[in-house]
Amino acid sequence: MEKVQVVDGSKRLRALAWLSLLIVIAIAFAFVFIPAFLIIPFKSQTARGVAWSYALKNWSPVVTVIAASLSIALTVYLWRGARWFGRIAMIVLLAPVFIFAWFARQNHFEWMFNPLPDAAYARAGETDFVADRDLVMSVVINGEAAAYPIRQMGYHHIVQDTVGGVPIAATY
Amino acid sequence: MWETTVNGRKLKFHLAGINNQNFIMRDEETGSWWQQVSGEAIQGPMKGAKLNPVFHDELSFAVWKREQPGGRVLKPNPRVAPKYESADWEEKYEKLRVVTPVDAADKLAPRALIIGVKLNGEARAYPVRTLEKQSPILDELGGVPLLIVLGEDRKSVRVFERSVEGRALEFFIKPDSQPLQLIDAETATTWDFTGKAVSGPLAGKQLKRVALLKDYWFDWKIYNPKTSVFTLGERDLSPSDQPTIKKGADGRE
Repeated sequence: MEKVQVVDGSKRLRALAWLSLLIVIAIAFAFVFIPAFLIIPFKSQTARGVAWSYALKNWSPVVTVIAASLSIALTVYLWRGARWFGRIAMIVLLAPVFIFAWFARQNHFEWMFNPLPDAAYARAGETDFVADRDLVMSVVINGEAAAYPIRQMGYHHIVQDTVGGVPIAATY
Repeated sequence: MWETTVNGRKLKFHLAGINNQNFIMRDEETGSWWQQVSGEAIQGPMKGAKLNPVFHDELSFAVWKREQPGGRVLKPNPRVAPKYESADWEEKYEKLRVVTPVDAADKLAPRALIIGVKLNGEARAYPVRTLEKQSPILDELGGVPLLIVLGEDRKSVRVFERSVEGRALEFFIKPDSQPLQLIDAETATTWDFTGKAVSGPLAGKQLKRVALLKDYWFDWKIYNPKTSVFTLGERDLSPSDQPTIKKGADGRE
């Protein structure tokens, strides 16, 4: 009678561990994908949605690492005594947690639109890459003039520069 | 275009997201989020801070080269050059859909291009189509007499305060001028597209430049909900190559 109770208790604990593993993974998923979803292009955004996106994105690097650690601990606990299909399930569940932890450290907008950290410039008379009818953003500061062709700006969106001694960001 | 120094600290910006089809920038130093079109920090430790705007122009390369022969031009990055916008990007973008609610009372299409001007708390949108019909437009905004003029390339736009020593002047395009020149009705002085008086009684004077934002109507309205829209009165529909002198008081909404 007593022995049966012990088995029941251990089973319950194992079930709880399984449940925890699923919840931890779901939380990591939420912290990574809800912020990305809230600021997805071609959707309408609200101020509240943007605030949520910022908060979740801010916490996601920490939360996903905690989630990964907890998932490893739970897997180690569950591994012994798990049947082969249980072990496969654990591996299948664990792999995405590491992907989430990695994704939380990425800027997927910069995958789509590569930044331009090493911007190079040509003299006004030595350009073969801008047509006369192409639009440029033009700035003149303290006598120094720079132009940023819009066809390039529409891709990079941000170019940091120093013009006439003033650090600026051309944005389009 | 923005200065990147805020409270003595130089910030480095990254593309970080989209908010109603205008992008969000994130600075490396504080992690705050900034709205590109307004230069305002909308989330994070810098929330509420504003970047200083940098006065700039949107010009055709032909006009820019003429005015700034000693300038420098951003080179394409060969690694990503195939992803740059095509020459007909403007037409393509006009066809993109808009996701924010559209006001049924609006006379302008959401993707209509406008020249947005803000002065003394007042905002007004000048539809590019209107400017193509009539240039220059003489107007008054926030108590300031304005001159809005389209370059000879039919693409570059500039806005000026059209008063000299407290006197508002009326301008018209000098017929067949190439590059484009303007003449004021009061003194017959000739002015160039940079707002400089090149010959005549006021030679040497410089009209004060006014910042403008070329934008889509839907985006301008999100950030300037009280904006008015400039419209032409019927009698103002004169061909743009004819001298057109009109008071700013009429033709406004």
